[in-house]
Amino acid sequence: MRMANSALEANETFMYQVERVKKKNRKLSFIKGMLFLLPSLILFSVFLFYPMLKTIYLSFFLTDAKGATTVFVGWDNYKEIFTDSVFLKGMKNTFLFVFYTVPLTVIISLFLTVIANEKLKGIGVFRTIFSSTMGVSVAAASVFWLYLFNPTMGLLNKFLELLGAESIGWLTDPDWALFAVSVTTIWMNIGFTFLILLGGLQSIDSSLYESADIEGSSYFYKLRRITIPMLSPTLFFVITVSIINAFQTFGQIDILTQGGPANETNLIVYSIYREAFVNYQFGSASAQAIVLFIFILLMTALQFKLGERRVHYQ
Amino acid sequence: MKKIMMVLTLSLVFILAACSGGNSNPVDGSQNKETEKTGSEKSSEKQLVTFWHSMGGAGQDALNSIVEDFNKSQDNIQVNAEYQGTYDESLTKFNAVAGTDSAPTMIQTFEIGTKSMINSGNIIPIQEFVDADGYEMSGLEKNIINYYSLDGKFYSMPFNSSTPVMYYNKDAFKAAGLDPENPPATYEEVEEASKKIVAAHSDMKGFALQAYGWLWEQLLANQGALLLNNDNGRSKTPTEIGWTEEEGKSILNWVKHMVDDGTFANYGTNGDNMVAGFLAGDVSMFLQSSASARDVIDNAPFEVGIAFLPHPENKERQGVVIGGASLWMIDGKPEEETKAAWEFMKYLQTPEVQGKWHVGTGYFAINPAAYDEQVVKEAWAEKPQLQVTVEQLQSTKPSFATQGALMDMLPEGRKITEAALESVYNGGDVDEAHQNAVKQFNEAIKKANKARGE
Repeated sequence: MRMANSALEANETFMYQVERVKKKNRKLSFIKGMLFLLPSLILFSVFLFYPMLKTIYLSFFLTDAKGATTVFVGWDNYKEIFTDSVFLKGMKNTFLFVFYTVPLTVIISLFLTVIANEKLKGIGVFRTIFSSTMGVSVAAASVFWLYLFNPTMGLLNKFLELLGAESIGWLTDPDWALFAVSVTTIWMNIGFTFLILLGGLQSIDSSLYESADIEGSSYFYKLRRITIPMLSPTLFFVITVSIINAFQTFGQIDILTQGGPANETNLIVYSIYREAFVNYQFGSASAQAIVLFIFILLMTALQFKLGERRVHYQ
Repeated sequence: MKKIMMVLTLSLVFILAACSGGNSNPVDGSQNKETEKTGSEKSSEKQLVTFWHSMGGAGQDALNSIVEDFNKSQDNIQVNAEYQGTYDESLTKFNAVAGTDSAPTMIQTFEIGTKSMINSGNIIPIQEFVDADGYEMSGLEKNIINYYSLDGKFYSMPFNSSTPVMYYNKDAFKAAGLDPENPPATYEEVEEASKKIVAAHSDMKGFALQAYGWLWEQLLANQGALLLNNDNGRSKTPTEIGWTEEEGKSILNWVKHMVDDGTFANYGTNGDNMVAGFLAGDVSMFLQSSASARDVIDNAPFEVGIAFLPHPENKERQGVVIGGASLWMIDGKPEEETKAAWEFMKYLQTPEVQGKWHVGTGYFAINPAAYDEQVVKEAWAEKPQLQVTVEQLQSTKPSFATQGALMDMLPEGRKITEAALESVYNGGDVDEAHQNAVKQFNEAIKKANKARGE
């Protein structure tokens, strides 16, 4: 009995020691892990978490022109922006803008990718051309399109004149302005989307196509049954990134229309900029930024929930 | 996919690293500048003055040559003029660096920034230098003194002032059977003239109005209407707008009539496109600052006429508000530096400089003695249009309306009136556009007052 007891005790001490070693190991690996995470944690805190918290803080205040807080107003900034016709219009136009740009960008790029994926002589030239807009900065591209849209000497209106059609106020007509900005954006985004999609397409295992060839499948059957499903993770990535980008559009708007005509292209990020740096209302600008953040967060979460089911990971 | 994500994460890290590197660079840069500064100070004993301005195009050329002349005229002061983008952009940058070493010695800010500069607390009122130096400000144009002195005190040094004028194409007027020497003066006459222009030229519109809040303010002042209540904010902080429904709508209806007649050319908020359209013969009349006079006259392939700002027929012409900008002395700089900047400011007021400035741009001389300068007389003989801008200012009736509004939310107010104008350009309803603008304007005033704790 005594022996059994002591054996039990020895076992317990042993167990205890094992626990202790395990605990120590866990602690050690936690520290090691944190060390590895530290660089990104620091970067994220400085460039993401701190500005984020500051923005939340600012959104409950009114500020002076330098952005220093003056009066605490609680939820007033939030309440106000949801009755502000300019903000609501901006919201609506942002969704329209996403709706115009994202599907078209992806479809056009996908088409270009599929034709540029053929193994032909000189295909490299075409691949370079198709992806070249990626190398053009937003500012340069916008100025380039600004000249095309120019009412007096713009190329587009000159063409219309040649065809005998009425010239269009691309950037001053409310029916056309958002469309014009969308065209510019699609043109600019094709390069990046094309490049990512081409990368995805190139990494599809060629044996799949070979087996399909042996079975005598048609081109479109292969496209539908092999290319698209195998490309779905890349497509999913591209769509997510494009949507986020479209929500955050700023440069084109600033250069092409400054939000005009009559706030018709005043997308939400531009409206935040204007609220903060033209109107010097950093409080309500912060509130708008938080609302935008929540929208993008929800959209992305929704996408992951719905979209991921259809994505086929190899 | 994993690879892509890895590449993306990596590139993100690089971008962030690059950003942090980029942030530290300006500091290094300014340190370098600092050492250069002390270096050059030692070698030549020159006091550096940093001058932020917003003059682009012909204005920038004229300003640079004035600054160069000043630097050559003496050995003690070196002024560095730095272009900082539009007034809006420059003000934003200034607010970001105010109170730090990167702030300039002096900055040029537009007239509607006056109140927010005073409220910022980062400036030294010019009056202090005027008093200490015994400098005489009474030689300046009386309308300018009217705008820039508050309770008899100058906060900033007036510099470039302009008024809105109507530019018109004399050749097109002739071809349409209109008298090129007798341009339309009222809204109604402009409408009539526009119809005749369109009838005579199939591809030319009659009139263009840039959607620009400044022009809205001027068109109100010309009717004797206030922009803000409490005497345009000059007797007390404004609590709401100052114009009546009739006064505001008269402008919108005027535009509406021309839109309906098909005689109105819509260039939105873009002034450059409007000028390009005028020069290309797409439109025969437009309103803009007299500051572009030199540019437009020199570049037009036809004869350009300049006329007074139009007014409604049933209202007498009251005149215009001083537009343009003034120079502000920034607080917190070494005394020698501010003193050097003051010397430069005084130099800018001299008749010779003002004469050169007026002729080179179309801004009028804030020192009327400049009009006796030889270069001005010669230029007026050659381009009599330049004289119109001066005449318009001098025929202005002094009142609160033509003194101009003072308030810190005016930049926001301009955006609001611009949106109202643009909605009418595109066939929007006048009542609705006016009602929206008034509502937003009042809300902006309320909010600005609340933010100041009033």
